[in-house]
Amino acid sequence: MVIDPIYIVAAALGVSFLIGILGSLGKTFTAVLSLITIAFMTFVSAGWLYAFQFGNQLEQVISTAGFNAPFSISLLMGQNEAFLTTIVNFVGLLGGIYLFNDFVKKGRNAFVVYIVFLMGLNVVIMSRDLFNIFVFIEITSIATAGLILLQDGHRAIGAGFKYMLATSVISSIFLIGIIFIYYYTGTLSIDELVANNNLLGIGGLTAIFLVMVATIIEMKPFPANGWGLDVYDGSHPGLSAVISAASTTASFYVLYKLMGIAGQEWYYYLSVLGALTFIGSNLLGIKQKNAQRLLGYSSIGQMGLLMLILGLRPFLNDKFLFIVASILISHYLAKAGLFWLAGIVKERDINNWSKLRKSPILMVLFGTFIFTLIGFPPFPSFFGKWELIMQLASAQQFNWMAIILIGSFIEGIYLFNWFSNALKHDNSKLSEIKIQWHKFAPPVIFGLLTYALGYFFSTYLEVASAINYIPLLFIVFIALIDFTPAWVKNTISIIGVSIYGLYVFPTLEGDLLRQIFLGIFLGGAVITLFSGYYNKGKRVGFYPMALAMFVGLTMLLTATNLFEILYGWELMTVGSYFLLIRGKKSLPHGYSYLMYSLGGTYLMMFGFALAFASNGYLDISALSNITVYPTLAYSLILLGFMTKTASFGVHTWLPGAHGEAVADIHFMASAILLKAGVFGIIIVLLNMDPNADYTTNIMYVLGWIGAISALVGNTQAVFQESAKKLLAWSSIGQLGYIVFGLAMMSHLGWMAGLFYTVTHFFYKGVLFLIIGGIALKLGTPLMYKMGGLIKKMPLSFIAVLIAIITLAGIPPLIGFGGKWLFYNAILEKGWYLQGALVMFSGVIAFMYLWRLIHTIFLGQLKDNHRNVTELSAWFLIPVYLLLAGIMVTSVKPEWLLEPLGNMIAQYFPDGQILWTDGVGYTEYGKWAGTNVAIIIGGAFMFVLGWLLIATRKAHKIGQFDITYAGERPERPETTHVAYNVFEGLYKAMWIITIPLIETLWTRINNMLRDIAGFTRRIYSGNGQAYMLHIVLFILVSYLVIIGG
Amino acid sequence: MEIYTKLAYSFLGLMIVLNWGLLMGVTMRKIGARMAGRYGVPFYQPWMNLLKAASVRTTITHGYMYYLGPVFRLTGAVGLFLFMPMIFTGDPDGIWTNFSFQGDLVLILYFQVFGMLGMALGAGEGGHPYSAMGVARGLSQHAAVELPMIIAIFAIAIQFNTFSIYEIVEAQQGGFQNWVIFTNPFAAVAVILAMLGAFRHAPFNLVKAPNEILIGPPTEYEGTYLGFLMSAGSIIHVMEAVLFMNLIFGGAGSWIELIIKSFLIYFWSVFVGMVFPRFKIEQSISWFFKWPLGIAIIGLLMASL
Repeated sequence: MVIDPIYIVAAALGVSFLIGILGSLGKTFTAVLSLITIAFMTFVSAGWLYAFQFGNQLEQVISTAGFNAPFSISLLMGQNEAFLTTIVNFVGLLGGIYLFNDFVKKGRNAFVVYIVFLMGLNVVIMSRDLFNIFVFIEITSIATAGLILLQDGHRAIGAGFKYMLATSVISSIFLIGIIFIYYYTGTLSIDELVANNNLLGIGGLTAIFLVMVATIIEMKPFPANGWGLDVYDGSHPGLSAVISAASTTASFYVLYKLMGIAGQEWYYYLSVLGALTFIGSNLLGIKQKNAQRLLGYSSIGQMGLLMLILGLRPFLNDKFLFIVASILISHYLAKAGLFWLAGIVKERDINNWSKLRKSPILMVLFGTFIFTLIGFPPFPSFFGKWELIMQLASAQQFNWMAIILIGSFIEGIYLFNWFSNALKHDNSKLSEIKIQWHKFAPPVIFGLLTYALGYFFSTYLEVASAINYIPLLFIVFIALIDFTPAWVKNTISIIGVSIYGLYVFPTLEGDLLRQIFLGIFLGGAVITLFSGYYNKGKRVGFYPMALAMFVGLTMLLTATNLFEILYGWELMTVGSYFLLIRGKKSLPHGYSYLMYSLGGTYLMMFGFALAFASNGYLDISALSNITVYPTLAYSLILLGFMTKTASFGVHTWLPGAHGEAVADIHFMASAILLKAGVFGIIIVLLNMDPNADYTTNIMYVLGWIGAISALVGNTQAVFQESAKKLLAWSSIGQLGYIVFGLAMMSHLGWMAGLFYTVTHFFYKGVLFLIIGGIALKLGTPLMYKMGGLIKKMPLSFIAVLIAIITLAGIPPLIGFGGKWLFYNAILEKGWYLQGALVMFSGVIAFMYLWRLIHTIFLGQLKDNHRNVTELSAWFLIPVYLLLAGIMVTSVKPEWLLEPLGNMIAQYFPDGQILWTDGVGYTEYGKWAGTNVAIIIGGAFMFVLGWLLIATRKAHKIGQFDITYAGERPERPETTHVAYNVFEGLYKAMWIITIPLIETLWTRINNMLRDIAGFTRRIYSGNGQAYMLHIVLFILVSYLVIIGG
Repeated sequence: MEIYTKLAYSFLGLMIVLNWGLLMGVTMRKIGARMAGRYGVPFYQPWMNLLKAASVRTTITHGYMYYLGPVFRLTGAVGLFLFMPMIFTGDPDGIWTNFSFQGDLVLILYFQVFGMLGMALGAGEGGHPYSAMGVARGLSQHAAVELPMIIAIFAIAIQFNTFSIYEIVEAQQGGFQNWVIFTNPFAAVAVILAMLGAFRHAPFNLVKAPNEILIGPPTEYEGTYLGFLMSAGSIIHVMEAVLFMNLIFGGAGSWIELIIKSFLIYFWSVFVGMVFPRFKIEQSISWFFKWPLGIAIIGLLMASL
C-alpha cells in the first residue's frame, strides 16, 4: 500500500506553515518536527520505490484540485520519480541531521526554508507541466539562496548574490521559452507536447531552445558556471552536499523530461555540451587547491558526464537507465559524502586533509567516496562506466568513448592527488578532528550504501554474475578484525589464502599456464605473508589490502570474460596501491602508480570495448577476433597491461614506488604483482592471430619496447645508491626480458619469457626479502652505508650469492637456462639487434649484482653495525624455500623446461626443445643442465679440496689487516669502495640514464596544469562577468543550434 | 669412451694448457722487456713463482668468501677448458673435445663469468679498496667488450646456423679461405678488436693497473691463493685464445696448430699493448662502443641479409 505522493507536498507545506504558527514552541521542537516531516517525505517516496521494485505498482498521475491537466498541477509518480524523490528526500533527511545545529542556531525559519527547498525539488521531479516546473524551480532557487546565507561571511554572501543573479537570468529565459511554447502549442503539459509533437517551425525551435538552454545552464555547463562554483565553494559544506546530490539530480531530471519534446538533434547538442563540461570542468579542477571548490569542479564535471550520457541515449538502448542510475547514484553518494567530510575536516587546503588520518574511519570513508567517483569496483559507477563504454562501442561511437575516458582520467588526476595527499601529507601540526555524531552518521551511512549499491548494481550486469564474493567477504572480515595484533591476522590470512588456493587450483585443471601463475600469485602470497610475522605491531590496514591484491590477481586467472579481468585488475590495483604507499616517502610514487594504473585501465577498457564491438560478447575469446581497429585495440590492451610490467615508457612509477616499499611489500610488488601484467600480455598474445599483419607490427614494436626496457632498467640499476631502487630498476629490466621473449611469438621466445616469469619469482623473491630485511634492520637502503655484513649475516649472504648467480645467468644455476633460451630464440626469430641489446643488458646486470652483494656484504664492516645480527627466521625460512626451488631446477632444468615446453607447444608447436637423457637440443645448440652442474660441481670440489689441504693452517686475520699504501686503515667509511663506484661507466653511458620519459610526462603534466591555470582565470569572481558568460553562452548556443 | 679415460685425457689436456699458458705468458713478458730494452725474466720464472707461492709457510684468510674466490676462479678456468672443444679431429666425441657435448657457445660465454664473479667477491671480502676498484673497472670494461662480441657471435651463428663451437669449427675446415676471418670479415674484425678488451693488455689494462692499484682485484691474495690465481690466469688466457681461434681462425687440428694459433692471437693483444698507452675506463668503454660495435653491426647486417 503506497501513500499518495501529494502528501509529500502537503506535509512539507503544512509543517512549514505550522512552524510559522507554532514557532514559540522552541527551536529543538521545530527542528525535530522538521526532520520528522522530511523522514515522512522520504518514507512516502521510498514506499513507492519499494512498490515499483518489488510489487506490480503502476505509475500514477495526480491531478491537484480536481482538475485535469492543463488546468491543474499534474504530478506523475513513476519508477523514475519514485527513485529520484527517494534519493532527494533521503539526502535531505541526512543533510538536515547534519545541519541540525546550524539550523537550530539560525532559528526556525531555516528549517522552513529547508523543507520548502526539498519540497520544491520533489515537485520539480514529479511535475509534468512546464509552468509548474518553472514555478518550483523558482521556489527552490529562492530557498537555495536563503540557505546559502546559512553560512556567515563574505564568501557566502557573494555566492548567494551571484546565485540569485544567475537563477533570475535562467528563470527569465525559461519563462520566455514557456510563453513561446504555449503560444505555439496551446499547452504546457509535457505529455501533451510529446503527443502533439508540433514544435517544428522556427518559432517552435526557438521556444524549445530557450527552455532547453535555461535548463542546461541550470546544470552549470562549462564555461558559464562560475556562479555555480561559488555556490559550492561559498556555502556551508552541509548545504553544498545537498545541492550537489539533490538539486543537480532534480535539474538533470528536468532535462531528461524536456528531451521528450526537444527533438532528436538536441541529443547531439547535449552530448557536445556535456562533453565540454565534463572535460573542461575536470581540467580546471587539476589546479585547484581548495577542497570545497575542487568538489564543485568535480560536481559540475559529473553533471557534464550525465548530460553527455543523456545526449548519447540513442546509442545506449535499454541500458540507458542502468547507466544513468549507476553514475548518478555514485555521484550522489560520493559527492554528498565528500562535502559532509569537508564540513568535518574544516580545512580548505587539500593538503591539510591529511588531518583525516587522525580518524581512520573517516579516512576509509574518504577513500571510498574518491574511488566511487572515479569508478573503481565494487562501486556502482564502475559497472555503469563499463556498460556505457561497451554500449557506445557496439554503436561504433569511438570518439565519445575516448572523450569519456579522457575526461575520467583527468578527473582522476586531481581526485587521486587529493587522496594521496590526505594519505601521506604531514599532519602533525594540524588540529584533532572533533567528531559529532550527527555529522558523522550521514557520511557513514552513505559510505555503507556505496558498497551495498555496488553489489546491487553488479547483479544487473550479466558479465558480473560469476564474481565470487566469498573472498571479498573474507577481506571485509579481515578489515573488521583489524584491531587484532598482526600475527593473528597474518595467521588467518595465510589460512584463508591457502584454502582459496586449494579451492581455485582444481578449477584450473589442465591449464598449466594459469596454474603456474596461481602458484606465483598465491604461493607468493603465502611466502610473503609468512615473512610478515616479523611485524610486532598491528599493521593497521595492511592485511585487507594485501588480500585484495591477491584476490584481484587470482580473479585474473579465474576470469571467464573481459569484465572479470578488469574487475580483478582494478581490485589488485587498489590493493597494491595501498601497500606501496605505506613507504615513508612514497607519496609521489604511489600517486604516479595510481595514475598509470588508471590510464592503463581505461586503455584496456577501450580495447575490450572494441573486442565487444567486434563480437557482441565479452568472453575472453572475444579477444581472438577483433575486427574493429584491431591494431589499435590490441595495442591499447597491451599498453594497459604494460603499465604493470613497467615497460619502458610507462615505467617511471616503479623505481620510486618499489624503492620506498617495505621488505615483504617489495617482494609482493615486484616478484608477484608485476607478473599480473605478464599474464595479461600472455592472454592477449594467445588470442592474437599470429599470421596477421597487425600482429607482426605490434610484436615488432613490443619486442623493441622489451629490449629497451631491459637496457634502460639494467643500466639505471647500476647507478643506484639505494639497494631497493637498484632492485626496482632491475625489475624493469627483467620484465623487459619477459616482454621481449613473449613478443617473439615463437616457441623458444615464449619459453624464455615464461622461464623468466618463474625464475624471476624465485631469485627476485630471495633478493627482495633479504635486501628488504636488511634495509629494514639497518634503517637505510643506502648501500654505501653498509658493508662487511657477511660476517654478521652469513646465511643472508649465501642466499644473495645464489640469487645473483642465478639472475646473472651463470652456469650451473638455473638462470643460465634463460640466457640459453634467449640466444636460441633470437637466432631463430632473426631479431638480432634487439636481441643483442637484451643480451647486453644481461651483461650490464653483472655490474649491479656485484655492486649489490659487494657493497652490502663485502668490503669493510662499519662500526655502527658491529652488533648487527642475522635476519630473523621469518625472512630466512621463505628465502631458503625459494632457494630450494632454484637449486632443484638448477640440477634438473628439464623438470621446469619440459612441462613449460609441452604447454607452449599447444600454442607454438614449431621449434620445440628435444629432451633426451637430460640433454636439451634446439636447432642450434644443446644444453645438458644436469651434467654441466655435475662437471662444474666436481671441478669446484676438487679445487676446493686441494686448497683446503694446501691452506689448512690458514689463520683468520682482522678487518684492517690489509696492505694499503703503506698505511693501516682504521676507518671503514674511507676504505669501503662503494659510493658512485661505476663512475667510469657513467661517464661513458650517462646518455642512457637521461630520464626522457619522466621529463616527457612532467612536461605533459605541467602543460595540463598551465592550461588549467590559464583557463580558470575566466572565473574572476565577478558577478557581472558571470552573467556575461551566461548571456554569451546562450548567444553562442543559439547561433550554433538555431543558426543566424 | 670410458668416462675415466676421458677424465684422464682431460686432465692431461689441462696440464698442457696450464703449462703452455705459463710459457706463453713469460714469453710475452720477455718480448715486452726486450722492447723496453731490458733482458726480462728467465723462461722458468712462472714455475718458480708457482713453487714459491705453494711453499709460503704462513697463510691467512679474511673469511670464507675470500677463501672461495680462488676456488671459483680456478674452477672457472678448468670448466672453460672442459666445455671447450680443443682439437678438431672430425669426431665430435674425440679425445680433445673434452666435455663440450654438454653445451654450446652460450655456455662458454656465460661460464666465463663464473670465475670472474667468484674472484670479484672473494677479493671483496678482503676489504681492500683496490680490489673493489679493480672489479668495478673490470666489470665496466667487460660489459663494453661484450656488446660487440655478442653481436659478432650472432653474426657467426647466423652464418653457420648453429651455436655449437664444434660445428662452427667443422664448417671452417678445408683451407684458410673457409675461416670466418675471410668468410665473415666484419664480424671477425669486431671479435679481433673486442678481444683486446678480453685479454686486458694496454690500452685496456686499467683493471689491474699494475702501477696504480697494484694488481687490482687480487691485491689481498698471497701464497697458495695467488698460486691458484696465477694458474687460473694462465689457463684462461689460453682458453680465450682458443675460443677466438675456434670462432674465427678455423680451430686447430693438432696441439701444435693450437699452440701456434693461440700464441699469435694472444700476441696480437700484447703487440697492441706495447704500442699504445693506457685508456681511462670511460675512454676504453667509448672505444668499444665505437669501433668494434660499429664493425660488428655491419657484420651482423651482412650476415643476416
